[in-house]
Amino acid sequence: MISVTERVATTAEMLGTELVGAGFGGFYGTPCGILSPLYLALQDRAGLMTVTREDNAVGLAAGAALAGRCPVVLMQNSGLGQCVNALASLVSPYRIPMLLVVSLRGVHPDPTPENTVMGRLTAPLLRDLGIHTAVLTPEADPAVTARELYEVVRDPGRPAALLIPPDAFGWRP
Amino acid sequence: MAAVNKTSAIATVIAATDREPVIFTTGYACRIAAGLHDRPNHFYMTGSMGLASSIAVGVALEARRRTVVVDGDGALLMNPVGLIAAGSVPGLPLVHVVLDDGCYASTGGQAVPSHHVDLCAWARAAGYARTVDTSCPEQFADKLRAALADADAPVFIRAALTEPDAPVPGRIDPELPEHARRFRDHLARLG
Repeated sequence: MISVTERVATTAEMLGTELVGAGFGGFYGTPCGILSPLYLALQDRAGLMTVTREDNAVGLAAGAALAGRCPVVLMQNSGLGQCVNALASLVSPYRIPMLLVVSLRGVHPDPTPENTVMGRLTAPLLRDLGIHTAVLTPEADPAVTARELYEVVRDPGRPAALLIPPDAFGWRP
Repeated sequence: MAAVNKTSAIATVIAATDREPVIFTTGYACRIAAGLHDRPNHFYMTGSMGLASSIAVGVALEARRRTVVVDGDGALLMNPVGLIAAGSVPGLPLVHVVLDDGCYASTGGQAVPSHHVDLCAWARAAGYARTVDTSCPEQFADKLRAALADADAPVFIRAALTEPDAPVPGRIDPELPEHARRFRDHLARLG
């Protein structure tokens, strides 16, 4: 019998495998504790370039998409705040395909007050930016999630976001 | 020695490039480039001030082609993280041109507070292999051509602009998804 921590760590590994397998790449990111297991999984499987600010990671991903890739950016939702102009004035109006994997700090079970406001703003912000958004629920099959998101990003060629709840990969407050 | 303004410096970039991807920063740079010679190897970044060099790093990284970014001093100072990203990739074939006019030209000519900032020193500290600092148009053209011929690591060229510009052309065609597609198709044809 495996522990809860091992089981949820496996979710991150499975998602990493499935994102690479679906056709996504290159991978860019700014570290986040919630996303740490996925960050490591992608570093192992495909290489992940750390960019020191989230909007610059979106900029690199935009360049990668223009070069024909189907890139992914990992970020904490606090970093989504840094990205608003990059998404509003570059990614959305030029319709540049990329997947944003965004953690949900400030949402249950994360009680930290410095993250609560952005926790509340994350989904409406993405909606108003016109970015297709999915949530990685505990019931979700990572393979199906990755394939569905790839179809959204690749075929019509548009941005999408996958929101990661705080405990999805075993993070604890 | 001839004087250099933004228009003549961008004309030099266009003359030195052919099929290489060139990313132009927001404001007057992309409008001047589109007015001088609009072609599929150009990407006009009409918004997202400060991110032109990050886009160019992504293109250079994934297309593995010498990529040029035409940046501005105000844009670079708004977001210098592009320097850090470029310098962190060994062997990145990036030619980073900064046209430094000391002002925010498209917003009314306000002064950029950069008197004590050495942009070339920043680039070297971030890991760029070579830097060039020039106000001479001939030297700018020569160094740019040399970088395009052999850059196998990020090169930073600061061109100090000494003359004002003639009236700048109008805004970029608002069909931005079509513009992105044209640039992407160009890169795909390069293979």
